[in-house]
Amino acid sequence: MATTTDKHLLALASEGDPRAIRTLYDRFSPRVYAVVRRIAGDDDLAQDYAQEAWIRAIRALPTFRGDARFSTWLHRIAVNAALQALRKAETRKKRETPAGDGIAPVDAAVGPAYGDALLQERLSRALDALPEGMRRVLILHDVEGYTHEEIGDVLGVTAGTSKSQLSKARAKMREMLSNLDGEVREQGVETWSI
Amino acid sequence: MEHLTAETLARLVDDAPDSEERGHLAECSVCAGELRALTDQTRALASLPEILPPRGDWGVLEARLRSEGLLKDQGMFARLELARTPAWMQVAASFMLFAAGAAAGAGWVGQTSAVGEAAAVAEATDVEGAAAAVQAAEREYVQAMSQYRELVARNGGDLESTDPISRYAALEHLVLVSQAAVRQAPGDPFLNGFLASALAERDAAARLVSTSTGGWF
Repeated sequence: MATTTDKHLLALASEGDPRAIRTLYDRFSPRVYAVVRRIAGDDDLAQDYAQEAWIRAIRALPTFRGDARFSTWLHRIAVNAALQALRKAETRKKRETPAGDGIAPVDAAVGPAYGDALLQERLSRALDALPEGMRRVLILHDVEGYTHEEIGDVLGVTAGTSKSQLSKARAKMREMLSNLDGEVREQGVETWSI
Repeated sequence: MEHLTAETLARLVDDAPDSEERGHLAECSVCAGELRALTDQTRALASLPEILPPRGDWGVLEARLRSEGLLKDQGMFARLELARTPAWMQVAASFMLFAAGAAAGAGWVGQTSAVGEAAAVAEATDVEGAAAAVQAAEREYVQAMSQYRELVARNGGDLESTDPISRYAALEHLVLVSQAAVRQAPGDPFLNGFLASALAERDAAARLVSTSTGGWF
């Protein structure tokens, strides 16, 4: 439930008040950027997608009625903006280049585990290297906590398809991380696995 | 023994195993280990942190929002509900930053403040920092404006009689700060607009000073 202050802030922002919009940006941009970055799998694209999400959100602010939390509403806009932009990019890419397997190799093996930061780095790199379809479902379900029904709505697939894709994505992710461990082991460096 | 497939194990992260799968997992340490690893992997994904947008992201977004008319900048004076104030009075208010601060020591913002703000702008490493410093100058200007109004009202004074030199000095303050800001962000349309306005007002004030004081400048 939005507080009175938040409602006032949203009301100002919906009227185009620069400071109110900046406050919203400061508060929510890390979350918006995180989700579009993971969906995009690329920093440059992520910035474009995040900007598009903010433009859409600010434009749609007058229609925000407060039925859901603002963060949830904004998050959904960000996911939709990123997915839509990706679809456009894919369509363009298909027209321009012959289809490959779409699987980018996970680059450089990493050294021994130094805690969460390294784990997160490895996970992020493996996520970036997942095929698009798998990545979307894995991010929406395992990272962002969407249900299969919600994923179905967002991606235009059935809940069953989402569930099936998730199992494939998790298995693929596990395989990629195991391969990383193997590479590291071959180099005689201490390894870890999750 | 035939192991469970990777996809089956991945599914079992969320779903309970059936009796056959449960039996296998109880006997097969390889599959049990893989299931634990997949469960850990899923938990780790759920704990991934938020990511800060790249530096300068707000500046780009702000320009886009402005170009699409989604950011409504009413201008400094309108935003502060001073739009109906005669232009010369707005300028005169800034004079108080100098004259009153120096002469009366009444806690008003002095010229050193203008220098300090310009320095703050110069030290800013990006457009946002420069804009923040300009906004700080703007706030002080408004504070002075308010105090000036009170002073004039208390003394029953006629605002029209305000010294043109005061106006000129006041505008120098704004020009100094906004010039420093534009040096930091030469391409920023807001800061450039701010500087252009301040320069135009200052030049107009200078012309007025030269005609009203018998050529002080």
